[in-house]
Amino acid sequence: MLQDVGLLSVLAIAIGAIPGALSRYHLTEWIKAKYGTKFPYGTFVINLTGCLAMGFFFTISKGITGYPKELDLLIRTGFLGSYTTFSTYGFDTLTLWRSNQKLATFFYWAGSAILGLVAVILGTAIANFFVK
Amino acid sequence: MDFLRGRLSLAVAIGAIFGALSRFYITEFAKAIFGKDLGFYGTFLINVSGCFLIAYILTLAFENIRSISPELRLMTTTGFCGAYTTFSTYGLESKGFLDKGDITMLLIYWVGSAIVGMIGVQMGVFLARSSIQ
Repeated sequence: MLQDVGLLSVLAIAIGAIPGALSRYHLTEWIKAKYGTKFPYGTFVINLTGCLAMGFFFTISKGITGYPKELDLLIRTGFLGSYTTFSTYGFDTLTLWRSNQKLATFFYWAGSAILGLVAVILGTAIANFFVK
Repeated sequence: MDFLRGRLSLAVAIGAIFGALSRFYITEFAKAIFGKDLGFYGTFLINVSGCFLIAYILTLAFENIRSISPELRLMTTTGFCGAYTTFSTYGLESKGFLDKGDITMLLIYWVGSAIVGMIGVQMGVFLARSSIQ
């Protein structure tokens, strides 16, 4: 199993992961500077757009015959996996809770999960225009 | 493109490579052990352990329990933990259960990740605070 993973796959993931993490980092910093740190707008927007793109590219990759495995690894496992984050979502939730914004905490915590699922469904629907 | 030359960006990028590859290998490992369609076991473990790790490191850093340089902090949290955990795959796998009509698994995985993730965060904070010397 793991021996089957070629160097090209590893490279594809690494090449996708770098711009994924850097765009998350810089987008978060930019949104913090623009809208403040009261609510984690950055991570919220990143996770939702990432879910939208995940639904889109998953459907595209399944819908096109001969879609290269390495391209799928680069875009989905590398870029999108690295762009979106679950750990910051968890820590942001705790930070919001500590800042005594209970309603915002619940909205962020449940809203990310619910809207993330909706975004995947939406991304799938958009992709179906192209591959169906 | 000035920001690309920063030390902090480099730290994030290095952490991200290891984070994304760890996620990939753990997911492949889970698929090999549990079955091809059960890679979400891996994602679950990854997201919960990543929540634990980021809370541990950020608590050590922000509560001045240990002195951690911004470069090391960003490499391990924004870089490694951020790339290691994933929200997009979590969403996609949740939708997979929805498509199959497996509402039980949807609720266990979808709601469970969000709840157990927070338990992971709390455990990370707890462990960091209990290491005060």
